[in-house]
Amino acid sequence: MTTPVELYACLYAKEFPCQAMLRLRPDVRSEPCVVMAGEPPFEYACSFNAKARVLGITRGMTRVEIDTFSSVTVVFRSQIEEEAAKAAILECAGAFSPRVENACNDNSFCCVIDIAGTEKLFGPPAALAKSLLERVRDLGIAASIAVSSNFQTAICLVRGLSSRPGVTIIALGEERAALTSLSLTVLDLSEEHAETFSLWGIHTLGMLAELPEKALIARMGQEGKRLLQLARGEMRHLFQPVEPSFALEERMELDTPVELLDSLLFVIGVMLDQLIVRATVRILALASVSVSLFLEGGESHTRTVRPALPTNDRQLWIKLIHLDLEAHPPQAPILSLALTAEPGAISKVQLGLFSPQLPEPMRLDVTLARIRAIVGEDCVGRAVLNDTHKPDEFRMEAFSVATGSISELARRPHCAAMRALRPAERITVKLRQKRPDALFFREKLYTVQQAYGPWVMSGDWWNQTLWSLHQWDLVAHSQDGSSLCCCLTYQTASDCWQIVALYD
Amino acid sequence: MPTGILLVDEILEGGLPVGAITEMVGAECSGRTALALSFLAQITQASRVCAWVDVSNCLHPESAAATGVDLCRLLWVRCGAAAATKAPQFSTNGFALQEKYFVPRPVTKGLHGGGFGPHPRSEVKGLSEAVSSFLRPQVTAPRCSEPQRSVINESVVVTRNPTQQSTDKTTSIFSAKPWSRLDQALRVTDLLLQAGGFSAIVLDMGSIAPEYTSRVPLATWFRYRAAAERSQTSLVLLTQHACAKSSAELALRFEPGKAFGEEKSVFTGVEYCVDVMRERSRPAFTNVIPLRKPPQRASDATWHSRTSWAGRR
Repeated sequence: MTTPVELYACLYAKEFPCQAMLRLRPDVRSEPCVVMAGEPPFEYACSFNAKARVLGITRGMTRVEIDTFSSVTVVFRSQIEEEAAKAAILECAGAFSPRVENACNDNSFCCVIDIAGTEKLFGPPAALAKSLLERVRDLGIAASIAVSSNFQTAICLVRGLSSRPGVTIIALGEERAALTSLSLTVLDLSEEHAETFSLWGIHTLGMLAELPEKALIARMGQEGKRLLQLARGEMRHLFQPVEPSFALEERMELDTPVELLDSLLFVIGVMLDQLIVRATVRILALASVSVSLFLEGGESHTRTVRPALPTNDRQLWIKLIHLDLEAHPPQAPILSLALTAEPGAISKVQLGLFSPQLPEPMRLDVTLARIRAIVGEDCVGRAVLNDTHKPDEFRMEAFSVATGSISELARRPHCAAMRALRPAERITVKLRQKRPDALFFREKLYTVQQAYGPWVMSGDWWNQTLWSLHQWDLVAHSQDGSSLCCCLTYQTASDCWQIVALYD
Repeated sequence: MPTGILLVDEILEGGLPVGAITEMVGAECSGRTALALSFLAQITQASRVCAWVDVSNCLHPESAAATGVDLCRLLWVRCGAAAATKAPQFSTNGFALQEKYFVPRPVTKGLHGGGFGPHPRSEVKGLSEAVSSFLRPQVTAPRCSEPQRSVINESVVVTRNPTQQSTDKTTSIFSAKPWSRLDQALRVTDLLLQAGGFSAIVLDMGSIAPEYTSRVPLATWFRYRAAAERSQTSLVLLTQHACAKSSAELALRFEPGKAFGEEKSVFTGVEYCVDVMRERSRPAFTNVIPLRKPPQRASDATWHSRTSWAGRR
């Protein structure tokens, strides 16, 4: 029985706290930036970008030391944003193989992907690594990749060669040679072992690999054996895969509380970019986006925007979120925010030469949102008649362009139409033999010519919303010759006469 | 585009114009809504989409459905409805401060928030008040349908409940003013015309008094005309008084309807009469007098609008 061929790709992003913070702050990327950790006043620099390193900033510098450098942007470490960035990269790696192991440490991101058997799907390892690197770069993270048939060798190699971004591929059997020149720091040695090796004059993995095994175990125990196997590229590893879940979620903590909607939209725009990139690589679109704003005082404010069709159009999303937040503004300054999106299938529209002219769904969404901002939330849409005999009973539903077949309706083009009066106008009525004889409506006295009725209607008697009315159809004339055809009701519960509609 | 009423289509030589403004002018109870709904029914049956911008929240969905309008394809924008629905919440408390105790709201005059024209030259102080006061006392025949303060006549039997009368007053404080509703409707129509894709847009100002509609700047109608032409939308205006002037491709005048008296117990319908007031597409009048009198076209039509419960005759 032959052992299956193993092949691992190790993805490594150094200075991860800084990279995670700069991912959602593209405007700071071109400047020296330092991420501080720790409780004030004992903050220290835990991570920084290349420009800051050129200035001379080192890890562990205090706030006072950092302040001596001019033009350095200081941000505070955010575990939430790091977790969001890690989840995004793991989910990106999960697109290439279902077996991904997380090997992160405090200051860097590292994950190993089992890519054995993916040649037919993604091509040779070099092509896969290049493609993975491009996707990670789209997320705003600079990383490097090492491919090896040994798990630990891939990790050591990518840590040792992290200063040289790109892809390093080690052929089967050449692990030991590839590791020879690497420093011992890639092994995460304890202080005691590091001092011992330093005293022995061992500085590279090549030197360590040359040591006799039995003599080393006699002096350092089983740990010595482990280090020797690592240095020789022979260490076996039991793969412990994690299951990266596909959740389109981005979180960000703001440096200062934000009150203005416009400045918030800049941040939302960057987060939307990330969500759209992540959805696009899976050939999906964003179906709905929920914006959760965490406010001063511990409250939160959540709004969900759902256009008619899933889309990846950034401008459209920004406009819809803008209009929605403008209509429902948060009541306090915003401390942090989270964007959660639901993925949906990319919409396909089949256009036809003879199909009727219809509103473009995306543009219609923005138009409807604008109209809602003008007239109110529940005043735009399509009317749906309720299944009741109660007059003027309907509900409003969201309008969308109906694409199905036309519902078969009884077409009566010569049907009399009514204009409803909302609210119904109360009037004074003069009765003769219990029938309306004259009515006073809008400062005019009308004499009733014909009164048809009463049609007695009632309903909901089993409920508290019971209603009961007498309906009349009136034809009336005033003294100045104007005529009135109206629908009059007498509410038995409240004992009042109302004109509910005019025939027009 | 046919209206669905044969006699009207005949005098219009096919129907209402596409990509232009049609104005339907008439008093309430004159058949404007019936014709507009019949027109929309034709459009929705052709799988097209249309919109009803309702300045007074007057559309009766049951009538629309009975006429044949597919409500799924009709976008209904109800201006001022949000203010009307909020009003009862205040009245249920049983106590409401009078408006004079509140901080007075900033007065916005005209559509532009000050002045009555797009140019400072056309801003004439006090002119609008003068025009309003001139038009107010029953000068124009069609009356305003806005809720107005009713003067109780002592000679008729008053059946109004006094407690309900007091709530009536509180609701009137919070009801939207005609100007704000008209302003909303004009902005919404602008957006819909810009969005495109709607085969017909009905701007229903049929219950707004002429003193309000006539104050809409003519530039607005001119802009609508250009936008309608660009998006190939039929814009239908329902008004009591002609306001679009030369921007309207077609203007129809509706006479007050006459109710049928054929049934003693059931209201069966109304007879409406429509007259073509102006039509731009007709050949212009020339000074050349032909020897023979040319054939004259009928410019008015009468049709019967029957209620949905009346049987066929």
